[in-house]
Amino acid sequence: MICLDALSVDFDERFQLHDINWTIQPGEHWLIAGANGSGKSALAAVLASEGTYLAGTLSGVPDRVALVSYERQAELIEAERRKDDADIVDVISEGTSVAAIIDADCCDPDLAQTLIDTLGLRPLMGRAFRKLSTGETRKVMLIRALSSQPDVLVLDEPFDGLDHNSMAWLQDHLSALAEVLPMVIVLNRFDECPDFITHIAYVDNGRLLHRVDRDNERAFAELYQLLHLKTSGLEIPAADPTARLPALDPDAPLVRLRGATVRYSDNTVLEDLDWTIEVNQSWQLSGPNGSGKTCLLSLITGDHPQCYVNDIMAFGFQRGTGESIWQIKQFIGYVSTALQWEYRVGTGLRNVIISGFYDSIGLYTKSTDTQKAIADEWLALLGMSARADEPFNTLSFGDQRLVLIARAMVKHPPLLILDEPCLGLDDMNRQLVLALVERICLHSETTVLYVNHREQDRVPGIDNHLTLTE
Amino acid sequence: MANYFNTLPLREQLAELGKCRFMHLDEFDEGVDALRGKKMVIIGCGAQGLNQGLNLRDSGLDVSYALREQAIAQQRQSWKNAIENGFTVGTYEELLPTADVVLNLTPDKQHTNVVNTIMPMMKHGSCLSYSHGFNIVEEGMQVRDDITVIMVAPKCPGSEVRAEYVRGFGVPTLIAVHEANDPNGQGLALAKAYAVGTGGHKAGVLMSSFIAEVKSDLMGEQTILCGMLQTGSLLCFDKMMGEGIDPGYASKLIQYGWETITEALKYGGVTNMMDRLSNPAKIRAFELAEEMKDIMRPLYWKHQDDIMTGTFSKTMMADWANDDAELLGWRADTAETAFEKTPASDTEISEQEYFDNGILMVAMVKAGVELAFETMTSAGIIAESAYYESLHETPLIANTVARKKLYEMNATISDTAEYGCYLYNHACVPLLGDFMKGMRSDVIGKGLDVADNAVDNARLIDVNDAIRSHPVEAIGGVLRGHMADMKRIV
Repeated sequence: MICLDALSVDFDERFQLHDINWTIQPGEHWLIAGANGSGKSALAAVLASEGTYLAGTLSGVPDRVALVSYERQAELIEAERRKDDADIVDVISEGTSVAAIIDADCCDPDLAQTLIDTLGLRPLMGRAFRKLSTGETRKVMLIRALSSQPDVLVLDEPFDGLDHNSMAWLQDHLSALAEVLPMVIVLNRFDECPDFITHIAYVDNGRLLHRVDRDNERAFAELYQLLHLKTSGLEIPAADPTARLPALDPDAPLVRLRGATVRYSDNTVLEDLDWTIEVNQSWQLSGPNGSGKTCLLSLITGDHPQCYVNDIMAFGFQRGTGESIWQIKQFIGYVSTALQWEYRVGTGLRNVIISGFYDSIGLYTKSTDTQKAIADEWLALLGMSARADEPFNTLSFGDQRLVLIARAMVKHPPLLILDEPCLGLDDMNRQLVLALVERICLHSETTVLYVNHREQDRVPGIDNHLTLTE
Repeated sequence: MANYFNTLPLREQLAELGKCRFMHLDEFDEGVDALRGKKMVIIGCGAQGLNQGLNLRDSGLDVSYALREQAIAQQRQSWKNAIENGFTVGTYEELLPTADVVLNLTPDKQHTNVVNTIMPMMKHGSCLSYSHGFNIVEEGMQVRDDITVIMVAPKCPGSEVRAEYVRGFGVPTLIAVHEANDPNGQGLALAKAYAVGTGGHKAGVLMSSFIAEVKSDLMGEQTILCGMLQTGSLLCFDKMMGEGIDPGYASKLIQYGWETITEALKYGGVTNMMDRLSNPAKIRAFELAEEMKDIMRPLYWKHQDDIMTGTFSKTMMADWANDDAELLGWRADTAETAFEKTPASDTEISEQEYFDNGILMVAMVKAGVELAFETMTSAGIIAESAYYESLHETPLIANTVARKKLYEMNATISDTAEYGCYLYNHACVPLLGDFMKGMRSDVIGKGLDVADNAVDNARLIDVNDAIRSHPVEAIGGVLRGHMADMKRIV
């Protein structure tokens, strides 16, 4: 049993893994997944005794751990290059031959010879290792690892750069090997996950955030979606080019409240609040429950009836001068738990997203082909392409939230209001939502108004804070 | 004041009764323009008044509320409703003289008093709007010649009117212009703009007449919509008690059964509702419905006749004059019925089970819908009106029973509907007495006790033909088609 207990590891001060708790039981085969730069390769390398331990312990690692990774590959090539540089005589050094490199660690020559043939390296055996292409080098690394009779096999992106036939062969070979040898594999593309993998470790920002048993279908599906959002190259879909919003004065604030007050006969919810939201000035609104956050938002969205007795300028309209609520809402994308409760419809996911073009709950207008295409792009971004016609109300709570965020963003509103978007979500779904919000913040022109009852939960990129008190 | 309908010659009565047309969305292209910048003053800040006002204001219109001086001075609920929703509130004297449109959204029984009070204050050439034509048609209210009189009647409770608007939709709405009071020919434009302001145009608007609205609305609500559900609830519950069914189960089967059964009606008419039953159950329900139709037909005719002649309104107005003695007494009686007092158990009843174990309820809905429709159309009411006031509204009323039984239904509907409902119930319960004696738990409570679902081919064909060829199914197919075009894309 390999056991990482509260382990923190430093890698040449370039990267650190923090507080890793991880146990690999006999018979388990792990996949390490995560976005680029999240620490997948570092975690794999720890098993091969790399890095400097800052805290915690690592125990139970067997003697022979074979690691195939870009880093190892680069080290080997670098070592070869140094040999060349070290040669001060004026002789052209070929460096070590492929055959010698393979022989160096070899414990199973028969297997090595088979692998050389299978992977088509036979003609290259006499060539200098450092003259090989990247893909060829990778094959050499694999042969070295597989023929070293390891106790654990750690493969970092083993399928990268392999041609189709080699990859198919390697997958078969690994499947057979899985019967006798524990394996840890790092993969960028989750859909390449081999069948023999029993567990998935999800790494983000140097931390091991999730350990998912593959038999737990629900958790597996959520992790799949999270990885999809974190790793797919898909862009935030564009706005509908045929439906332009009325132009806003770029110098005028999006919203300006003066002396905003909301009062009922028995209590006062808001009193004399001034607030201006300029274009591209994202805000975080915080405050305890009951401090009037949602009330303040609904003054902006026009959902609060007392917006008509307040001095509110929104999107060029002085409220209460003959504008309709739909003229206000067209500039706003809105997500909240309350909206989710209201959105109790059996409408399919595609139509739920399209309803964002009309600011309606449910869809009451025939949609255009462009709108459908955009909605489908959003579903692809969410990793829900196959579920376009599934009824919204049968989705998990977290999935509903994601779809509603897509609905809010589908028209690329000048103002996106996220009212406690993570409320009621478990950790995994919270990260899903944050991953989506992060992508939206990075890749659109939308001004974000993020509401969170905990002031300390700050979102990167949001510099303005308004805190309400009770 | 004389009954307005009765002052008209027969051919004009028939012409007015025959008015009802489903309007197309493109007839509303002008949006709320006809009302833009006009001062709309609402009288009555109950559920309809408040919620319509919220919608109209959100559509960009200028809305305020006129309340009686005492209501303002004592800060009554109506005052609170308006103030907390950020509306301007004033007395009649303050607001009415400058109002362009006055929306009378008070209960029927206050209309004469309200209209007589406000008419002298209304400015020349203004508009008075009703949401029910009772005051004009039955009480013969004479409105000043220069005032335009229109009706805009959302066909749902006030809370729904608001909820659907907020969702970006609306509720089906009936509009009409009182021909005797349309001095500038602006009535229709104003009514259309009002319907747009409440969101009704998105869900479908019916262009009707004051007379058709009143005579069909009264008939529908008294018989199939409220009366039949009340009578059916009481009879079915008592029968199940006699048959030894668990009271909690019986209570639940009825409370939620009407809603479930009529949901099928909403989607596909009587045909679909009957198709939800097994073949033997369908044939049985058909036979029961035929039998009940024969028994109840004279009662439906009597209700329609009393409505047409004005006997009904006269009777009810006499009760108004007597401080609602009958209405309040009947309301108290209803609260004491065994069905009302037995809470629904938390036994799981599947959607299909409501059909399988509620064959008699299905038969009652079928009999009531068809009889009301037949009676209305044979009295000169056009099929479109008759459809909306029978089949179309039944699921809406059934929803109220599901919420809190008959109490909720009677609290939600107007006093006029409630009064008519009790009248019907008092006549119908004894009328169905002998028939009910023959009923067993196989048609209410337990489901048919049959070895298999075998039926005779020829009999099934006859029954299916009879169900499908009823005139309410023909018009229903057309109107549901229109509605589906406009309605939410499910």
